[in-house]
Amino acid sequence: MMLSRSSISRSCTRALQRHCVCRRTQIRSLAAAASGSFQYETGEEAGVKYASRDLPGPTTTLTVVAKAGTRYQAQPGFSDALEKFAFKSTTRRSAVRMIREVELLGGDLSAYHSRENLVIRAKFLREDLAYFTELLADVISKTKYAPHELNEQVVRVMKLGQKNLLANPSHLAINSAHGLAFHRGLGTPLYPTSSTTFSKYLEAEEIYNFALSAYSKSNIAVVANGTSQSELSKWVREFFEDAYTGGRKLESPPSKYYGGEERIAHDKGNVMVIAFPGSSSFTSGSSWKPEIGVLAALLGGQSSIKWTPGFSLLAKAASQHQHAHISTQNHGYSDAGLLAVTVTGTASHVGKASHSVVEALKKIASGDVSGEDIKKATALAKFQALETGQDINAGLEATGSGLITGGKAYQIDEIGQAIDKVGEDKVKAAAKSLLDTKATVSTVGDLFALPYAEDIGLKI
Amino acid sequence: MSQPSLAPFIRSRPWLKRWMVPFANWYASAQGYRKLGLRADDLIPEENDTVQLALKRLPPKEAYDRVFRLRRAFQASLSHQLLPPEEHTKPEEDIAYLSPIITEIEAENQERDDLEEMFVPKRKQVAASVKKSH
Repeated sequence: MMLSRSSISRSCTRALQRHCVCRRTQIRSLAAAASGSFQYETGEEAGVKYASRDLPGPTTTLTVVAKAGTRYQAQPGFSDALEKFAFKSTTRRSAVRMIREVELLGGDLSAYHSRENLVIRAKFLREDLAYFTELLADVISKTKYAPHELNEQVVRVMKLGQKNLLANPSHLAINSAHGLAFHRGLGTPLYPTSSTTFSKYLEAEEIYNFALSAYSKSNIAVVANGTSQSELSKWVREFFEDAYTGGRKLESPPSKYYGGEERIAHDKGNVMVIAFPGSSSFTSGSSWKPEIGVLAALLGGQSSIKWTPGFSLLAKAASQHQHAHISTQNHGYSDAGLLAVTVTGTASHVGKASHSVVEALKKIASGDVSGEDIKKATALAKFQALETGQDINAGLEATGSGLITGGKAYQIDEIGQAIDKVGEDKVKAAAKSLLDTKATVSTVGDLFALPYAEDIGLKI
Repeated sequence: MSQPSLAPFIRSRPWLKRWMVPFANWYASAQGYRKLGLRADDLIPEENDTVQLALKRLPPKEAYDRVFRLRRAFQASLSHQLLPPEEHTKPEEDIAYLSPIITEIEAENQERDDLEEMFVPKRKQVAASVKKSH
């Protein structure tokens, strides 16, 4: 009654396979633990690239990464809509049935999008790999994109995302900073900011056309964590055969840095994002600059240990303005990056703290930093990069996008070595070049109290 | 709501279909709704959740045309007039534009009920022992 006969017979054959799969994985996991490798093995089946990493453990995370984030969307809101259409009715099963089946097996489905990628993810028990590979293949190649699902469900959730973005000063500021820095492409906001998207652009037919390009074989990669290469390749060959081929190729012109200042009035908080051209992500290859990572750690703002501001320059500065919080992050993308310092808190303290951000940068550029601090920053940057790589979700997305663009998978060992090589003079030179370029300053909140970029000593 | 229908039974038997079609055509025009410019699907009672949802799912043009037909028919009915013959619904225009959506929604609801219904049978032994102890 609950499952059709064909699916029962399918699960029976799977139950039979289960025994041998378990035995094999146990042997494998011991071997993997002994070699201690976090390297991805890559391959291609049925025209679809895949990578897997056989981490020992009872669960698997399987993702389909599509190069279809907001940067590549054909019209505003399409990446978001495509993400929300994941796990809706397909020609083979309805959304309700999909959820009930997954509940029976025990698993977790989710989807999200970033500026460059759209990620569809399933987490489940190791032995259910075949079922979930089929499910994800179903989602990307057989979703109906029914107009009524768009109007009744997708748009409703998208509007909540829009409200969330507009109500949150930090999100608003970081999106505005991206817009200033890159204009179109990477500058497109992650969620629709205006209702024109809903009234003018969103149509089921058009979203289907976008899906044809977004989910075409050359535009996706299947990345798994906690499964053996041979298992994954077998099921990818079997189920991804029908994935879309062709479709219009999704293009975005190479990113160019512009910079500028934007001020947005808001009554829910005060945020200043001070950003500079940063480093692209590791998988991009040559345009990855490890010294930017070290510089970000040196600026810092948040302590990684309790009860002390820590060594980072901005954390020390923030401890003098107790109602301001500072954090520094390099947002890395495939061909550009944005090094963003975010200051949040009460308007007066954010204003004062923003001065110290510029002062700290000038201090680094003039070489007024102790070698020990730089050593600490290098260690922290290395730790953060490796931890991100080890973190299953970030690693999966980075690996997937690396595979699609023909670059590398996220190979941890190389990152560590590159960061170790960064010297003191390189960090200083990086800080100097940041101060020479046009800055990006996005201010959200009480505009009467918050300073202009000119006031804190930045060139716009 | 979709009504029970003999149509699939008849359509699957060519000899019966050949025999019934002229009668069906005569009956459809004898009902009179075509003389008011309506289609058969306009007559489906809409005072329930399923049909309300189906109406919401109509494409905008279809929804507009439906309202136009209904208003024209009300007007004609109030003034005790039939529409001029050129405005009558032609047999080839009398298509099912709403009932496929209704069938789809009913199937969805049916599937949801099937999947969400959990039948817990009463264990016989326990029931028997409880009865004995009283």
